[in-house]
Amino acid sequence: MRLETFSYLPELSSEQLGQQIRSILDRHLVVGIEYTNAPDPYDHYWTMWKLPLFDTDDPAVVLAELEACRQANPGAYVKVNGYDPVRQGQVVSFVAARPEPVT
Amino acid sequence: MFQAGVREYREIYWNPGYQPRDTDVLAAFRLIPQPEVAPEEAAAAVAAESSTATWTTVWTDRLTTLERYQAHAYSLEPVPGRPDQYLAYVAYPLELFEEGSVTSMMASITGNVFGFKAIRALRLEDLRIPVALVTTFQGPPAGIQVERDRLNKYGRPLLGATLKPKLGLSARNYGRACFELLRGGLDFTKDDENITSQPFMRWGDRYQFVMEAVHKAEQETGERKGHYLNVTAPDCEQMLERAEFARQLGSPIIMHDYLVGGFSAHTTLSRWCRRNGMLLHVHRALHAVIDRQKDHGIHFRVLAKWLRLAGGDHLHTGTVVGKLEGDRETTLGVLDLLREDFVPANRSRGIYFDQEWASLPAVLPAASGGIHVWHMPALVEIFGDDAVFQFGGGSAGHPQGSRAGAMANRVALEACVQARNEGRDLAAEGPQILTQAARQSPELAAALETWKEIRFEFQAVDIPDVVQT
Repeated sequence: MRLETFSYLPELSSEQLGQQIRSILDRHLVVGIEYTNAPDPYDHYWTMWKLPLFDTDDPAVVLAELEACRQANPGAYVKVNGYDPVRQGQVVSFVAARPEPVT
Repeated sequence: MFQAGVREYREIYWNPGYQPRDTDVLAAFRLIPQPEVAPEEAAAAVAAESSTATWTTVWTDRLTTLERYQAHAYSLEPVPGRPDQYLAYVAYPLELFEEGSVTSMMASITGNVFGFKAIRALRLEDLRIPVALVTTFQGPPAGIQVERDRLNKYGRPLLGATLKPKLGLSARNYGRACFELLRGGLDFTKDDENITSQPFMRWGDRYQFVMEAVHKAEQETGERKGHYLNVTAPDCEQMLERAEFARQLGSPIIMHDYLVGGFSAHTTLSRWCRRNGMLLHVHRALHAVIDRQKDHGIHFRVLAKWLRLAGGDHLHTGTVVGKLEGDRETTLGVLDLLREDFVPANRSRGIYFDQEWASLPAVLPAASGGIHVWHMPALVEIFGDDAVFQFGGGSAGHPQGSRAGAMANRVALEACVQARNEGRDLAAEGPQILTQAARQSPELAAALETWKEIRFEFQAVDIPDVVQT
């Protein structure tokens, strides 16, 4: 399984992940986290991990939530989304953690 | 009393004091009058012949109020460096046009006047479509955001490829070529515009094999895929029959060639796509016949505006880089007209009027034509995320085949997006970013080696005149 943006690159280090999250926050997007155990290209609604992080501008907070989601859901794929309230849709989304390496 | 005879057009149609109304359609023409014709008379002739006048007065003029329906030539500007040329501005009242009809606008504004003897050459440079008229059009069936939402693709440009060779593959082999590209990492594959339903591959056979390839690639990658199934057909009934079969097979997208098919057929298809939840990829064969020569014809920015009104989710544009014509500033202007909700006048990009789109959905520009992996940093920098890059030869021409070629392009794309988001300068560091990514990707390394010497460096034929105002 590849699963969209950044799935053709080597797994992002936590520093690289932090930089991507920084760029989402710098664009004034709202970060949200979702997870699933069974990714399916036709599934638009993974399970939300809490509500989107509306008032966060610190990548460390997002990274901590990602880690908490992983710990609570071993074996899950975890996705980071960026919502644009002006465009009224997601404009960023990528899988930040997966249970096994890309094949 | 009726006075028969011929009057000079400028007596009625040259109106330099006219203040255009918000509801007027405004046109900017590049005008080359015949040497013995005054520019005011030539501009007035354009306004006259594209609205209420014919060459002579007629008694039935007296049965209506022509002032209500006449166009006004309201301004003339010399073109810098071209003493024979002028920019002529014409305002048309809203009532001259049928609602929701590009065909009506074309018939009026780009009708007889282009063959008028008093004018040596004429080019429609830009058209301001008033909001009052914009809102009578459906526009793109889905638009960029809905396409991304349906297909679950965010934060990067999309990748496609036109299947090659253009002609002569059997349906089953064609499906194989499609599968390899999608499986390797492209989002879309595409029928070449030459492919409709020839004896070597009938449309029904092609659709079935291609959709098997699309679905299998989806299962194996976990990503949504699509193939632009060309439904351009000899007549509208067959066009819709093909579209319906594509829908039954589960295709998310179909393709139409809007200029050769014509705006009435295209609008029918666009409305069908909206009703059926289908994306519409739009090819532009014929456009260079109409838009390439600077002195005569219709600029592509007008053809692009008409397409946004009639509706299409993708439209081919210039690439700036690659094998096809397309000046950078002009292309950026067209990108704005396709994607933004409000586009201000900007002479350096060839945009003569403010254009409001009143929330009409946006069109995803498609960049194609001789682009390869070395162009990726420039393409990401020029187009941003909301575009689809079509690497036909630049995928299937990879020494290890289509799958490796597709993967090389996908790796290069993602490396550029990652680097841009980290704040790196793609224009300056492009080659370095690609070479770095190639260390982890033998497919990318081989692609970089294959196309390292290919350049298409020719002066563009059509670049904007920056006019002093």
